[in-house]
Amino acid sequence: MSRNSAQWHAKPNLPETHYVDSSIYTSEEFFREEQEKIFNKVWIIACHESEVPNAYDYRTFQHPGGENLIIVRGDDQKVRAFYNICPHRGNTILYDPSGNAKNMTCIFHSWSFDTKGNCVDITRGTEGYQNRIDKQDVCLREVKCDTGYGGFIWVNVDDESMSLKEYIGDALGLLDECIQPEMEVFHYHKAIVNTNYKLWHDTNSEFYHDFLHYFNRITGMIQPGYYDRKYEGYKYGHASVGSMEVQYDKYAGSQKRGVGWPGLGPGGWILIDLFPGMTYNLRTSVLRLDTAIPLGANKVAIEFRGLGLKSDTPEQRAERIRDHNTIWGPFGRNLHEDLLAVHGQGIAMREGTDSKWVIQGREESSTIHDEVGMRHFYAEWSRRMGRKASAPQEQGKIEAA
Amino acid sequence: MNSHEAVERLIYKSALALDEKNFDGYLELCDGAFTYTICTYSPEIRKDMIWLQHDKEGMKTLFKNLPRHNSDHSPLTRHVTVYTVDQKDDGTEAEVVSGLQVYKTALDGGATSLYAVGKIYDTVKLSGDSVSLVKRNIRLDTRELGIGHHVPF
Repeated sequence: MSRNSAQWHAKPNLPETHYVDSSIYTSEEFFREEQEKIFNKVWIIACHESEVPNAYDYRTFQHPGGENLIIVRGDDQKVRAFYNICPHRGNTILYDPSGNAKNMTCIFHSWSFDTKGNCVDITRGTEGYQNRIDKQDVCLREVKCDTGYGGFIWVNVDDESMSLKEYIGDALGLLDECIQPEMEVFHYHKAIVNTNYKLWHDTNSEFYHDFLHYFNRITGMIQPGYYDRKYEGYKYGHASVGSMEVQYDKYAGSQKRGVGWPGLGPGGWILIDLFPGMTYNLRTSVLRLDTAIPLGANKVAIEFRGLGLKSDTPEQRAERIRDHNTIWGPFGRNLHEDLLAVHGQGIAMREGTDSKWVIQGREESSTIHDEVGMRHFYAEWSRRMGRKASAPQEQGKIEAA
Repeated sequence: MNSHEAVERLIYKSALALDEKNFDGYLELCDGAFTYTICTYSPEIRKDMIWLQHDKEGMKTLFKNLPRHNSDHSPLTRHVTVYTVDQKDDGTEAEVVSGLQVYKTALDGGATSLYAVGKIYDTVKLSGDSVSLVKRNIRLDTRELGIGHHVPF
């Protein structure tokens, strides 16, 4: 029997940890609070070291907290991160997403900065400022930066934050062996979707949605071992899913695979979600790395990277690219389905649609269709926000799960 | 009809076939050795990327599998303009460069938006009166494709 308005709005008959109020996906107020309390406090992946291999190589990064950053490798080989804002008149210093610049010079009035963030030139400085402003007073704002866990470059805009090592803890343990070899990004694309960033991370945090994917149903869900995969939660909202042997040859058109990945069994698949919006997804012969960058309550830019090994021969790299493109990439079979689904959630749940609850109540001993991964995320979200995801209008101190 | 006109006709028919989701008709325009690639350059990672690559059999399988997947069913309209047709001296092949614009029309309401732009680099086999696609390389300028798409351009 269908439900009336009162029934539709009534709380689900589940523990309050097993559902969320959909306003956490639609409220601009909550979004701005997330930027302040979450994104500007945690470590975020900005790019990969293979994107800045040489001295003076740089990448720009739109940080999910709102800041525009420059990631640059110095002549001392150290990678540093700075705000991409000229301290003079607030212009963007580097416009291109990547490049190589010994000094970074603002196009507006030619103030120049080195790769350590020092201001090295103020054009006609003495004539204009006499002794009132010195170059050392107008250096760039540096942001904490660290490299690790597969050669990714991480940033944290909170000067007082914990270390990256403490933040990650044991969460990437399942991939320890797999991310030791030197890697290289061979694929990058960005998808901008009108949906909330958490809905993308939710999708990466539950496998019940394998019903969405013909590829996963045929190669995984109906194969032995599928229901044995288990979720494990870690401190600070991270979670992992253990491996199984995916039968890729069950999908028509899939070719026999020979490359594989060091430390990953044949047909293996390890997925690790890092709070608040990053996912390591290692399957077939490719590591995919997602970074969700919210642009608003109902808009997200998702950066997708595909990585192979730096030691790849051209033939091995070609196979990784083929594996990647079969299910991922803008024309991949699975990625389009996942993005279509979260796009649909964005339409259904946007403000004014009278959406109310999202259920995350499946319990199957933490195995593959259990929704414990999402619950684990929202426990951390609630702790950091001081709001229960199931009743976000109420504020207060919330303990960690 | 001269070979230049025949080549142009082939390119335009291939766009029409895909617009109409006439996948068998599209494959009929392709030689047995046909290869299809979508590629682009990423200024972010400063690398060329391949986003889709199949031989004729692979394309056939891709089309066959389409109904098994969940897809955005918004129709695509391909606007192609043949820029140059350069025939080999021996008259067996022609290299063709075309401009490509892909439009997407929403099913609900019918709003049309520009979805992608790029160029098509084709190798066409000329054999008597018949012409067929041997190689199609679509080089996209557009890299932000939103939720993506299952049907090739």
